[in-house]
Amino acid sequence: MSLLLQYQPNDVKRHDEAVFDLRLRRDRAMQEVPDFTVLKRHAAAIKAHTLDHLADYLEMFEAKAHAAGAKVHWAADAKEHNEIVLNLLQHHGVRRMVKSKSMLTEECQLNPFLESHGVEVTDTDLGERIVQLGNEPPSHIVVPAIHRRRDEIGELFHRHMNTPAGETDPARLTEYARQDLRSRFLDAQAGLTGVNFAIAETGTIVVCTNEGNADLGMSLPPLHIASMGIDKIIPTVDDLAIFLRLLARSATGQHITAYTSMVTGPLRSGELHIVIVDGGRTRLLEDPSKRRALGCIRCGACLNTCPVYRRAGGHAYGEPVPGPIGSVLAPILGSGPVAASLPQASTLCGSCTSVCPVGIDLHKLLLEWRHGTAKPDPDLRYGLRIAAWLMARPALYRRVMKVVCRGHPLISKRWPGNPASRWLDARELPEFPPMSYYEKRRSENR
Amino acid sequence: MSSRDSILQRVRQSTQKRVEHPGAFPSPALRGGWRGFEDRLVTVGGESIGPVARTQLARVLRPVVEHRASGGRVIAAASLCLELGEGPWTPVADDIPPHDLEDVAVAVVRGSIAVMENGAIGIHGKDAAVQALPFLCETLVVLLSVESVVPDMHEALAALPEDALHHRHFTWVSGPSKTADIEQTLVIGAHGPRALIAVGIDAE
Ligand code: SF4
Repeated sequence: MSLLLQYQPNDVKRHDEAVFDLRLRRDRAMQEVPDFTVLKRHAAAIKAHTLDHLADYLEMFEAKAHAAGAKVHWAADAKEHNEIVLNLLQHHGVRRMVKSKSMLTEECQLNPFLESHGVEVTDTDLGERIVQLGNEPPSHIVVPAIHRRRDEIGELFHRHMNTPAGETDPARLTEYARQDLRSRFLDAQAGLTGVNFAIAETGTIVVCTNEGNADLGMSLPPLHIASMGIDKIIPTVDDLAIFLRLLARSATGQHITAYTSMVTGPLRSGELHIVIVDGGRTRLLEDPSKRRALGCIRCGACLNTCPVYRRAGGHAYGEPVPGPIGSVLAPILGSGPVAASLPQASTLCGSCTSVCPVGIDLHKLLLEWRHGTAKPDPDLRYGLRIAAWLMARPALYRRVMKVVCRGHPLISKRWPGNPASRWLDARELPEFPPMSYYEKRRSENR
Repeated sequence: MSSRDSILQRVRQSTQKRVEHPGAFPSPALRGGWRGFEDRLVTVGGESIGPVARTQLARVLRPVVEHRASGGRVIAAASLCLELGEGPWTPVADDIPPHDLEDVAVAVVRGSIAVMENGAIGIHGKDAAVQALPFLCETLVVLLSVESVVPDMHEALAALPEDALHHRHFTWVSGPSKTADIEQTLVIGAHGPRALIAVGIDAE
């Protein structure tokens, strides 16, 4: 983590409010749609049908995309995906590539791989650009830099783009980024985009952005590479309407993203390569009790409403996709240090389930994992054992709490040798009250 | 076995093909119209003009375009220039490299469908002349027949022109380019156009 960027006392509160604001916007937008519960049920039914016929639809998509002039590649895992992309770039002599948002390429760790082979990759979504400059992963799947304050972003831009020091105005910062990125768009020899939906009946890929960065990236350079998981398939153009009506409303409370491009085949003078990636998804599919998690359209609504995500922030999960859906996917798709134990880190309040636009019962899936294979974190088990031991000894417990309330700066600040330092990297402890609850009650009753 | 075949095989082994497609969505009959579309467009940061009679189009468009361009380059597809006649716009050949359009101040293109529920305008790849044009320009002006307004996305996609998916892009544009990536503050003009103007054309 960059030393330049440091957490401040109010960051947890600011993050919580910013994220919950998205949730409120989502509520307003969804309530405006007269048929939204029907829409949601319909979306869930289409996803269930698609997953159950996935092989046929994948083949249909491949055939149609091929007929439209695109080249389709298949990758079993992240490594194969990255090699396919690198081969394409080397074949075309590409040194500079622009990329729009794609959680899949985060999952595959594509950027560091390409950079180690001499390809300069520029993330063009403003939020992704901010985290790229800060040398950190996105903390949210829709708003990647939601954990950063404007002053931190101003400082990053100052260092990397030589913008005036101390600039914190979002409009001016965005303008600087626009100008810097525009020249990178014009310079790029290839553009890589994610895929929001892939329509089987026509071989069309659909890409949604608000900035228009994906559109510039796939219409300026002659080479367009689109990376998608096998779970992005939907059967028909008609079905697309359902998901477009749900996606932006659930994500940010917009009625639709500013740009929604349906791309069928390459530019007249260019090439389109679509890389279809498994990356563990077939293993989720194999398990009938978890399969429905593949219906996710990555709207981020479950993150925005999750009491754990809102306070812990995305980095605490150690996975490209955080939040409730991230915790459901992690035991199979994840590779981070706590992937297997993420289903434990939930309150099971069910708020995620209530907002999911495609009807995934996330809290039940989390529970499934707890019953099943998820292995508890040994550190956590140790910690819980200590807590249990302590709580069984009220007198000792009270004494310890008294010390903790007074000595908390020792625990909550990062200092060399603090055993909690690693944990504090991605989180911040809440303000401690000056005395424990027990002491407080005692002094009040006196 | 290739990755392709092994992925498909694994998928086949774990699925039964028993769950049926739910069929067409029973879209409630909302009523759409130019005014409804305009109202929504404004909420997504777009502007609107009209409806104007086709014969008056060039006369209405000229001052708007000149004002927005303030001396910069104005580009329209060749077929559109022909229809509009004399004006500040110059035709763009559809085979020029997109990089030559980097400094376009105003682009005028035809839109094929307008959606009331979300203010989106469908722009057909062939009407954009050069694919990158609607995303490179500073101001995007889209000409729309008032009859092209549909109530929602279901009808919008049902109304896709026959050849819409034969021309690489068919793009739904809802307002100008925007971002809220810095502390959730909405900023217009992240990469693409800083303004979007929809011009309604009366039915004949
Ligand atoms: S699980 Fe549902 S709410 Fe969460 S990101 Fe996916 S679609 Fe959105």
